[in-house]
Amino acid sequence: MDAEMMKMLAAALAVAVGVTGPALGEGWIAAKTMESVSRNPEMSGKMFTNMLIGMAFVESLGVYCFLVALIILFVM
Amino acid sequence: MTAETLDTEIIEIESGETTAGEEAGEGSEVQLAAEPAFVIGGFTVTNTMTATVFTTLLIIILAVAVRRKAGVIPSRLQVLFEEAFMMVYTQLDEAVGEKKARFIAPLIVTLFLFILISNQFLLLPFVGSIVTEHGNLFRTPTTDYSLTIALAIITMGAAHLIAFVASPLGHIGNYIRVKPLWQVITGKRPIGELFNAGIEIFLGVLEMLGDCIRVISLGTRLFGNLLAGEVVIIVISGLMFFTQFLIPIPFIILASFAGLIQAFVFTLLSTLFISNNLVHATGHHE
Repeated sequence: MDAEMMKMLAAALAVAVGVTGPALGEGWIAAKTMESVSRNPEMSGKMFTNMLIGMAFVESLGVYCFLVALIILFVM
Repeated sequence: MTAETLDTEIIEIESGETTAGEEAGEGSEVQLAAEPAFVIGGFTVTNTMTATVFTTLLIIILAVAVRRKAGVIPSRLQVLFEEAFMMVYTQLDEAVGEKKARFIAPLIVTLFLFILISNQFLLLPFVGSIVTEHGNLFRTPTTDYSLTIALAIITMGAAHLIAFVASPLGHIGNYIRVKPLWQVITGKRPIGELFNAGIEIFLGVLEMLGDCIRVISLGTRLFGNLLAGEVVIIVISGLMFFTQFLIPIPFIILASFAGLIQAFVFTLLSTLFISNNLVHATGHHE
């Protein structure tokens, strides 16, 4: 196993492992929003924007992992 | 005879591998750092810098156009700008009061408009294909880490400066928390609270560390999201010959949407940091 292969493996692992947490988080946010919208339908517009902002926060964690993978592949 | 052919075959394979590797290195257009566009008198101008100047000019033209026709009966563009201003202003008004909100809001709205327009640079047709002798002339400004980290430093610097001007002692007291320790030493508090005073000092150090991390996370969030969108489009359109035409369109929509959301998130976070610092500093002082 040479260095190039290790790099590829490391990049793949960084994305594959790192993305699971944000994926769970985003799913949870969506599920909770659905729950509250079904309870209180007239608030759905405000909840949707809040959901998107919350998701953007969580998604940035996944993007950090993506960046690390890119740095491993193209910069190191 | 056979040995010689085998040798040549091996050499061919090796040389073939090396050229393939070089091609993969050169052909991949994924670039983390900004490429130089042209050189003026020994100063290298990168393609994100030209795009930043372009965006700034666009905002100035928009602002002048809106200002000239501004009136009691607003035009459509004026409504858009007023909406962007009020979005920030109402939040600040609730947190720090009207007088300070009027002072802080223009800075954040400027950041918002700049990030909003520069994130949509991808949607301008043919602009990404203009090529000079060094490389592309334009590239989405926010995919340059220098720009996003500069925006983050400006935001956090403003947050500290505003809080410091409002209440110098209160703001410094949030980071160097020696007040409880002093009270224990002078006898205003019982000696049993010495441990709590030590923890307060440690919390102050943590707060300093947290502010450094905030700068990095604020800049990296914007940079990462925008770069991820571009890289995905590059990878998808470089996959096969026929994936260049219609397949990237959903990803372009997704990237543009992510840019919009990230502009909102950056604005929200900078509003939060500035008002939080201000409230904390003045509240601590009183």
